[in-house]
Amino acid sequence: MYSDKTSPRQETACSDANGTMPSCAPLAVPYVPFQQYGAKKYSQADALNNGTLFPGLNLPFKAKETGRNVVDSALSELQALEFVVAELNLYLDTHSDDAEAFQLFKQYSAMEAEAKKKYEEANGPLTLSAAAAGDKYSWLTASWPWNYPEGGAK
Amino acid sequence: MFVYEKKLQYPVKIATPNPKLASFIISQYGGPDGELGASLRYLSQRFSMPYPELKGLLTDIGTEELGHLEMIGAIVHQLTRNLTDQQVREGGFAPYFVDHTTGVYPAAAAGFPFNAASIAVKGDVICDLTEDLAAEQKARVTYDNILRMCDDPDVTNVIRFLREREIVHFQRFGEALRLAKEKMDQKNVYFTNPAFDK
Repeated sequence: MYSDKTSPRQETACSDANGTMPSCAPLAVPYVPFQQYGAKKYSQADALNNGTLFPGLNLPFKAKETGRNVVDSALSELQALEFVVAELNLYLDTHSDDAEAFQLFKQYSAMEAEAKKKYEEANGPLTLSAAAAGDKYSWLTASWPWNYPEGGAK
Repeated sequence: MFVYEKKLQYPVKIATPNPKLASFIISQYGGPDGELGASLRYLSQRFSMPYPELKGLLTDIGTEELGHLEMIGAIVHQLTRNLTDQQVREGGFAPYFVDHTTGVYPAAAAGFPFNAASIAVKGDVICDLTEDLAAEQKARVTYDNILRMCDDPDVTNVIRFLREREIVHFQRFGEALRLAKEKMDQKNVYFTNPAFDK
């Protein structure tokens, strides 16, 4: 009898841009291949620059402009760490028994927490709990994320 | 509940205002396949989902979409800051300006206000996940089309990031559908709706 039990942890690994499918599949439902365990991963900066942690999922549009490095400040370094955590979060939602990915998720979460603490000490609070830890109410004075000066930053 | 973090998911740093770009990028704020609709769709669909993978994925992608809504708002704001009277009249921005000045309002590029009719919550596992697959594709195409019409690298760089997220989300929703099917009747996944039938 057919079963759609398709563990991504398959024996014959497909290439990184391919995933696993059932050999016989029931009709009348959509199928997307499972991303395999152990997929190649970018560094955190390249992940943020490309919009995904996984080279196998990076499918850009023919736009004239190619991606550029945006990780050039304390804030964007924090954004890159947070992005890897978010990407692994979604991956783990559908691959919850991938132990290696979970270890990476723990590692990056710890790095992100540490980087956030340092960032907030130097630049002001990103969260209300950090605002409550200061000497005075600094929630309003730290810069707002949608503000950026015309002509670029000095 | 939600806790705000005073930062964007990805940097938005647009040096040069350009109301013409804002007049169509606003569609990803409040248009038919925009980020407001995306977040509302996922954060609403999750309540009737029977399996933890689906509750989790819809919560987590829905939350990320709220972050994308904020990024699109930041793009529109930066493209319309410090406009001269002349700039306001140029490039087809005047119809938006007359109603909203340079405030950020959830509307489509063609001008109609955000409408929940462009999203769906059907309360059925396979149906809602299939809707989500289509939604990610529609958002991806909208970003393709924005990229065709946009020459400022400060803007295209952010749009490319948001477009790539749609592809990753499509992949995850596809996997979620496979996971859901494993828990359903293997001979006929349409035998019941596990979001309703006990």
